Amino acid sequence: MASVCGTSVALLGALAAASSSIAPRQRCSAIQSLPSNSSQWWISRPATQDYYRLRASLWDSISGVLKTNSSTPIVEPVPRNAEAEIEGEEDIVLVEKCQENGTIQRIVFATGAEVDVYELQQLCDKVGWPRRPVGKVEAALKNSYMVATLHLHRQLPSGGCEERSLIGLARATSDHAFNATIWDVLVDPDYQGQGLGKALVEQMVRALLRRDIGNITLFADAQVVEFYRALGFQTDPEGIKGMFWYPRF
Amino acid sequence: MACHRVSSFVALGGALGGRHGVPSQDHIFFPCSTAQSRPRSFAGSKNPRKSPCCFAQAAQLEALGITETGKFSMSDDDLSSRGFQLHRSLDNINLDDLNALFVKVGFPRRQNEKLLRALEHTGTMLWVTKAGSVIAFARATGDDVFNAIIWDVVVDPAFQGIGLGKAVMERLMADLTRKGITNIVLYAEPNVLGFYKPLGFVVDPDGIRAMSLSRRRRA
Repeated sequence: MASVCGTSVALLGALAAASSSIAPRQRCSAIQSLPSNSSQWWISRPATQDYYRLRASLWDSISGVLKTNSSTPIVEPVPRNAEAEIEGEEDIVLVEKCQENGTIQRIVFATGAEVDVYELQQLCDKVGWPRRPVGKVEAALKNSYMVATLHLHRQLPSGGCEERSLIGLARATSDHAFNATIWDVLVDPDYQGQGLGKALVEQMVRALLRRDIGNITLFADAQVVEFYRALGFQTDPEGIKGMFWYPRF
Repeated sequence: MACHRVSSFVALGGALGGRHGVPSQDHIFFPCSTAQSRPRSFAGSKNPRKSPCCFAQAAQLEALGITETGKFSMSDDDLSSRGFQLHRSLDNINLDDLNALFVKVGFPRRQNEKLLRALEHTGTMLWVTKAGSVIAFARATGDDVFNAIIWDVVVDPAFQGIGLGKAVMERLMADLTRKGITNIVLYAEPNVLGFYKPLGFVVDPDGIRAMSLSRRRRA
């Protein structure tokens, strides 16, 4: 499936500026009239508002954490549920796609979403991770400081109930004050390669920083060290090394 | 022959971007001692599980899997006879005292309220006092099921070199493994790698790297 990289922050600004005056349904048909393939992803504006706010001051305060090569003004995606932000939970539409039959697909990042452990188990199977007892997974999620999810929402043209499926997850444990450690970052292989893993971690880092957690840590397999470096993580800061316990007796 | 199931370990790591696991062991069976240590009344007992010698041995395996003998390097009695008291909860902790200890070993001084919040959300901790003053401390955060990260391991410089750090670490690790947690990790400054290695910690296994993003560094 050909797709525009859905998470380039620069694109957000450009597209928002172009379509700010169009209501959602009309916008849908406007996109259909564009050239190129019909399954085109574009960046959504929030469901509740028709514009993005330029949050330059916020951007300045966390610049250096998130890097972009574009010269387009950076904008901050507005959470689609203003109340959720006040409560301290994030709910952000990362990508929106309108299909020819009128079905709307959205990929939503959230920190307060409920996770179906059996859905998670299926996702873990899909990426090839060994199974873990469901009860333990449930407890681990409950004991995590933050569980960030990517869900695919499909809304049929009839406007009925939205279908929702889990396509990504990351969780962080923390002492709620100084340190957080990120574990178990995964994205459905069917949705990999379009920047969703990057967006997932990026948004999670923002959410943790917003909660004033000053030190965010993780352990990266050798092949994903560069992925995290690009998101602002450093290896062995000040020479500090990660150590794992290997029971010898 | 196996006579008493002491504990079970589930092998799974929680590392990022793929799983990294410690070796799998479903159950640990500890063999019974030889017949001569069994009380005579149990001679001929068909069920070795009921033999008191097994229970006695199991009770001594406080550090199973952590030390070679399965016993702590310094016993609880050793500690108390030297005037050291062990604590595993926040009860009676003096935050100023703890903060002072952190400062003594070179940590930045932290706000009491934030420190308290961190401690209240710490699943496992262990600290040592002598004459009411905190002289050693360590804590572990995590999800209490799969992963634990050990932080803030400190020993008062006046009491270093006598095995207190090891005593604290062995007990903290025993508490964690008793909860079923086997993925225990930590971040170590270069000068203390030698302290953690004898406890069974390995640096960057399989090329896994510790990474961090700190607001402090970017400021």
